[in-house]
Amino acid sequence: MKHVRKLFAEYAALVGIWIGLLILFGLLSEHFFTSRTLATLANRIPPLTLIAIGMTFVLIVGGIDLSVGSTLGLCGALTGLALVDWNWPLPLAILLAVLVGVALGTGIGGVSAGLGIPSFIVSLGVLEIARGLAYIATDSQTKYIGEAVEGLAKPLPGIRVSPAFITAVLAVVAGQVLLTRTVFGRRILAVGGNETAARLSGVSVRLHKTAVFTICGMLTGLAAVFYTSRLGSSDPNAGVGLELSAIAAVVIGGTSLMGGRGSVVNSFLGVLIIATLDAGLAQVGASEPLKRVITGAVIVIAVAVDAWRKSRSNKAS
Amino acid sequence: MNNKPASVLWAAFLAALTCFVGCDSKPAAPSSSDSTAPVKAAPAKPRVALIMKSLANEFFKTMADGAEAHQKEHAADFDLIVNGIKNETDLGAQVDLVEQMIAQQVDAIVIAPADSKALVPALKRAKEAGVLVVNIDNKLDTDILNQAGLDVPFVGPDNREGAKKVGDALAATLKKGDKVAIIEGVTTAFNGQQRRMGFEDAMKAAGMRIVATQSGQWEMDKANNIAAAMLSEHPDLKAILCANDSMALGAVAAVQSSNRAGKVAVVGFDNISAVQPMLKDGRMLATADQYGGKLAVFGIEAALQILKGEAAPEDKTTAVDLVTKESLAGKE
Repeated sequence: MKHVRKLFAEYAALVGIWIGLLILFGLLSEHFFTSRTLATLANRIPPLTLIAIGMTFVLIVGGIDLSVGSTLGLCGALTGLALVDWNWPLPLAILLAVLVGVALGTGIGGVSAGLGIPSFIVSLGVLEIARGLAYIATDSQTKYIGEAVEGLAKPLPGIRVSPAFITAVLAVVAGQVLLTRTVFGRRILAVGGNETAARLSGVSVRLHKTAVFTICGMLTGLAAVFYTSRLGSSDPNAGVGLELSAIAAVVIGGTSLMGGRGSVVNSFLGVLIIATLDAGLAQVGASEPLKRVITGAVIVIAVAVDAWRKSRSNKAS
Repeated sequence: MNNKPASVLWAAFLAALTCFVGCDSKPAAPSSSDSTAPVKAAPAKPRVALIMKSLANEFFKTMADGAEAHQKEHAADFDLIVNGIKNETDLGAQVDLVEQMIAQQVDAIVIAPADSKALVPALKRAKEAGVLVVNIDNKLDTDILNQAGLDVPFVGPDNREGAKKVGDALAATLKKGDKVAIIEGVTTAFNGQQRRMGFEDAMKAAGMRIVATQSGQWEMDKANNIAAAMLSEHPDLKAILCANDSMALGAVAAVQSSNRAGKVAVVGFDNISAVQPMLKDGRMLATADQYGGKLAVFGIEAALQILKGEAAPEDKTTAVDLVTKESLAGKE
C-alpha cells in the first residue's frame, strides 16, 4: 500500500493534468471523448514517445541531444531509399535506420564525452549534418512508399491501436525498468547527479555518457521508421523542431535539465499531455496563435505544478 | 484527506486507460459523453474541415479568413472547422490533423496539402472512413493517387499558367539574353514545381538566361539570404522570379540592401496585401492573383455540392490574373 501511494505521488500531478485536458476537450467538443479520438491520439505519439525516452536518458546524465529531429529525417529518408530504390525487405530497412541512429548517437556521445565538449554543441553540429544528408539522400524530394511501410502505423483490428503504439509502450516500460531496476540505471543517475563522486566510486563516466546517446540514437532510428510509416512516405523535412517537443515533454515529466533525476514514465505522460493538447485544440478549431499561447502556458503550468508537488512532498516526508 | 482527490484521479486514469486499450464505438467516460451522444445522432448540417498549410503565411491566413467569413454568411448550411500547421514543411502535423478530423467524423475535408505525395495515404484513410476529400491550392501527385487507387477532385488555379503570365509581363520589360534567377518554393510541392515551370516557360520563350534556381522554402527569410547570394554572384542580374510573395518580399529587401533597387526587377505570386505598396512604387513589377481569399471557399462550395449530389466529384480550374501597377491603378 505504501508503495502504491508512493507511485501515486510520483505520477498523480501529471496524470491529473492529462485527465483534466481530456475532460476539458470532452466538454468543448462533442466528438472528442470517443475511443476513435483516443485511438488516433495513441497512434500519433509513437515517434515522439520513443525520442522522449531517449532524451530522458540523455538529460539524466546532464547532456542534451538537439540532433534527434534531423536524425529522424535522415533515418526516415534512408528507410524510403532502402524500401523503394533498393527493394530491401522491411526488417532490413528498419535495421538500417536503427543502425544509422545508433551510429550518430554514439558519435555525438563519444565526441562529447571523450573530448569533454558540451553535447549541446556536438549535437547542434549533427543536427545540420544529418539534415543535409537527408536532403542529399532524397534529392530534396518526398518519396512515396505506400503499402510496404504503412502496416506499422495501421491500427490493429479489434484494439484500434497500431503496432507502433504497442512498441512505444513496451519501450516506455523497458526504459523505466532499465532506469530504476538495473545497475546501469543507477550508474547513469549517479553520473548525472554527481559526476566526480561517480568517477571516484569507479563508474566509467565516459562509457555511460556515450551509452545514453547511443540509446537515444537507436530509439530515434526506430522513431523514424514509425514516422515514415504513418506518412506512407519518406520526407526529408521530417522532424524539424521535434527536438524541442521532445525536450518539452521530458521536462514536463519532471526530468531535470541539470541531470541526476528523471523518469521515463513521466516523460511518456509529458508526451501524452502535449499530444492531447495538440489534438484537442485542433478538434475545437482553435486559431494558430491561440494554440501556441495555450501550449506554451500548459508547459509552464505542468512544470510548475510538478515542482510544487515535489516541494510539498519533500516537506511532508 | 490528502488521498481522496488522488484516488479519484487514479480511478479516472484507469478508466481512460481502459478506453485506450479497446472500448468500441461507445463513448468512454459516462460523465461527459452520454449526454451529448443523442445530439450526434440527429441529422445535422454538413460539417466541413478545412485543413490549411501554415497560417503564419498571410496567403493561407487570408484563405482561412475568407472561408470563415463565408461560413458566417451561410451558417445555416454548414459548420466549419479550420486548422493549419506551424510551418509549411511539417507534414506529420498535417497528417495528424487529417486523422483528427476523421475521428471527428466530419463530412468533408477540404485540404491544401503541404506535400503532394505524403498526404495521400492519410487522405486515403479519410476516404475509406467515408469522408469526402476535396483538394485545393496544391494539387496532389496524380501518379501517387493512381498508385494508391484514390480519386480526389482538385479545385484550384493553374499555377503554371499563372506563373507564365507573370513571367511574360516581366519579359516584356527585359532584353533578350538578360540574366534572371528563380527562387522556387518547397521543391516537394506540386504548385511550387508548376510555378517554377511557368516561370521557365516564359523566360525560355522570351530568350532570357536563367542563371540560378534555388529554393527559398516559401519563406521570406530564406529567400532573402538566397537572393542576397544570387545578387553578389551575378552582378548583372536583371530579375528575380519568386514563386510566392513572401519570398518576393525577402528578395526585394535583398535588392535594396545591395543598392540595386531599380536595376533588378522582382516578381512574385499570390498578391498578398503586403506587396501592393511595392507594386505601386515599383519595387516589385508583378504578381499573380489566384484569389487566395476565395480558394478555400471554392473548395468548400464544391464539397457541399458533391455532398448534396449536385455536382460530380471532378476537377475545377479557377482563375489566375496578372497584377501590376497598372492593374492596381485601374481598380482604384
